[in-house]
Amino acid sequence: MAEGAKSSPKGGFQFKVRGPRDFYGGLALIALAIIAIMATGDLPGQHGFAFGPGTAPRIFAMLLAVIGGVVALTGLFVQGSPIEGYAVRGPLYVLVGILLFAGMIRGVDLQFLRIPPLGLVISTFTAFMVSIFGSTEFRWVESLIAAAAMTAFCVALFVYLLQLPFQLWPMY
Amino acid sequence: MTELLANLALGFQVAANPYNIGFCLIGALVGTLVGVLPGIGTVATVAMLLPITFGLPPVGALIMLAGIYYGAQYGGSTTSVLVNIPGEATSVVTCLDGHQMARQGRAGAALSIAAIGSFFAGCVSTVLVAALGAPLTGLALLFGPAEYFALMVLGLIFAVVLAKGSVLKSVAMVFTGLLLSMVGSDLETGAGRMTFDIAELSDGIGFTNVAMGLFGFAEIIRNLEMSQESRDIVKAKITGLMPTRQDLIDSSGAIARGTILGSLLGILPGGGAVVASFAAYTFEKRIAKNPQRFGNGAIEGVAAPESANNAAAQTSFIPLLTLGIPPNAVMALMVGAMTIHGIVPGPQVMTKQPELFWGMIASMWLGNLMLIIINLPLVGVWVTLLRVPYRLLYPSIIVFCCIGIYSINNSPTDVVIAAIFGLFGYWLVKHDFEPAPLVLAFVLGPLMEENLRRAMLIARGDPTVFLTRPISAGLLLVAAFLLVLAALPMIRARREEVFVE
Repeated sequence: MAEGAKSSPKGGFQFKVRGPRDFYGGLALIALAIIAIMATGDLPGQHGFAFGPGTAPRIFAMLLAVIGGVVALTGLFVQGSPIEGYAVRGPLYVLVGILLFAGMIRGVDLQFLRIPPLGLVISTFTAFMVSIFGSTEFRWVESLIAAAAMTAFCVALFVYLLQLPFQLWPMY
Repeated sequence: MTELLANLALGFQVAANPYNIGFCLIGALVGTLVGVLPGIGTVATVAMLLPITFGLPPVGALIMLAGIYYGAQYGGSTTSVLVNIPGEATSVVTCLDGHQMARQGRAGAALSIAAIGSFFAGCVSTVLVAALGAPLTGLALLFGPAEYFALMVLGLIFAVVLAKGSVLKSVAMVFTGLLLSMVGSDLETGAGRMTFDIAELSDGIGFTNVAMGLFGFAEIIRNLEMSQESRDIVKAKITGLMPTRQDLIDSSGAIARGTILGSLLGILPGGGAVVASFAAYTFEKRIAKNPQRFGNGAIEGVAAPESANNAAAQTSFIPLLTLGIPPNAVMALMVGAMTIHGIVPGPQVMTKQPELFWGMIASMWLGNLMLIIINLPLVGVWVTLLRVPYRLLYPSIIVFCCIGIYSINNSPTDVVIAAIFGLFGYWLVKHDFEPAPLVLAFVLGPLMEENLRRAMLIARGDPTVFLTRPISAGLLLVAAFLLVLAALPMIRARREEVFVE
C-alpha cells in the first residue's frame, strides 16, 4: 500500500501524500504491529479450543496492522494538515533530565556507562537543573533556588512525611 | 429502601471517622493544589499522587484518592475560569463562559456557581451510586465471560465514539493499547510475551508509567513548545464570592439538567466526564432563548458543564465497584490502587467489604462538601499558585513525577518506561492520535483476553457464543450501532461541531 508514494509513475503524474499526519502515523502503527508479530512468532498459538499465549497478541497485532493500513491509505488520498515540526530543545532536556534521575537514583552499571547510586537529593536536584534548560526563558539564580527548594520539599514529603524507603545520599 | 439507608448509615459511620475525614480533606486539598496547575489533567494528578496513599489503610487510601479525583477536577475548573487554560479536557467548555465572566469581574460568581453546581451534582449522584450499587451487583452475577467481553468491547467503542478526532484513528489507538497491554507474562502459561528478554518487562508495562508518560511528560513537552506569554491571568481582585439571587435562579435549571445528563453519561463505560460537560454545554446553548449570550459570560455555560462533569465523575465509580470494569483512565488508576491494597474490584467488594464500599460512597458526598468549604476561601491561594511561571513549574512537576513513579516499585526502569511513553505521547499528538482510547484499551486488554479465552473454551471454540447469548449479543449490537453511527458522515460533522466549540 505504501509503494504508490515512492515510485511516482513516469507519465508526469506526480503522486503526493495528501495527509502526511495520517500517512506516516499509519505506517508507524503498521511497523509496530510487524514488530509485535515477529516478537510473538515463537509463542505457541491456538491448539484445540484453547488459546495459546501467542493467540491474543497476534490477533491484536493483525488488527492493528489492518487499521494502520487503512489510516495510511486515508493519508494517501485525503487532504490533511502537514506534520508540525518537532521541537528539539524541550523534549531533549526533559528526556535527559528524566533519564538522569533514573540512572542516578540507584546507580547503573551498563557496559558504556557507570553511575554509582547517588541517592534522592542529588538525583532530584540534577533532574530539575537539566530539565529546566528545556525552556528558553532560563535564568540561573532563580533556577538554582527553585531546584534547591523543590529538592527540600520532595525530601520532606516522601522521606519524612510519607516514610518511603529512599536512600538520601550517595553510597559507595 | 431501609436497606439502602442502613447501608448509607454504615458508610457515613466509616467516612465520619476522624482519620478518614482527614484523609478526605487532605486528598481534596492536594488534588485541587495539583489540579490547579495549568497543563496537568485529572489523570496525571491522580497518577502523580498515587504514591502518597500507599502507606495508608485501604479504606483511607481509597477515600483519599477519591478526594484527590474530585479536587483535581475542581482545580481544573478554577484554572479555566481564571487563566483560560483548561487544566484538562473536562473543563475546556468551562473556559468559554467562565473566563468571560472573570474578565467582566465576576470570577467569584463563576467559581462559586461551579462549586455549588458540583456539590448539588455530587449529592444527587452519590445517592444514585448507592441506589444502583446493589441491583447492578446482582446483574454482575448474570454475567459470564462472554458478557464481560462484550461489555468491554462496548466500553472501548464508547471511548472511540467519544474521543475527539477521527473514529478510524481512535480505533487504531484501541488496538495499539490492547497490543501494548499484552507485553509481559501470559497469565495462564507464564510464557514471556514481547518482553525482548528484558527482566523488568516480564511483569508487563505498569499502567502508572503509561499514564504518567502519555498524560504527564508528553503534555509538558507539548506545552514547552507553545509560547508562555499567552497566559492571561485575571489580574483584578476577586470580590463578591457569593452569587447573587439572580445568578442562582438563572443557573438552577442548568445545574439540574447538567446533573441528569452527567449522571447518565458517567455510568457508560468509555470516559463519560468529558462528553458530559460538552453535552451539557451544547444542550444549554440549544434550549436557551438567547444563545448569543453563550461565550460571552453566560452563567448557565458554567453551571451546566461543571455539574455534569462532577456527576459523571461520581457515577463512573458504578461500573468499577459493581462489575469491576474501570470505565476510564482515572478508574483504572483506582484499580491499581485497590490491587496494591489487595482488593480485587468487582461485585464481591460490596458483599465482602461493605465498610469499604459504603465508606467510599459516603466519602464522595463528604468530599464534595469539603470542596465547597475549602475552595471558596482558598481561591486567593490558587490565584497565587497560578502566578508561578511555567518555566519553574514544569521541572518541579517532572521531578515530582519521577520520584512518584520510582517509589511505586523502587524501579528506575519504570521511570525510563514513562519517559519513553512521554516521547510516544508527543509523537501521537503530532499525528492527531488521541491517547485516551489507548489508555482505556491498555487497562482492559488483559481482562478482555482472559474473558475471551474463557468464553471460547466454554463454548468449545465456537465464536458465535457472543451472538447467541442474549445479553452479550445485545451489548455487541449496541456497540456496532454506535460505531456505524459515529462513522456516518452526517453525524461526524455534528460531532466535530460539538468538539470545535
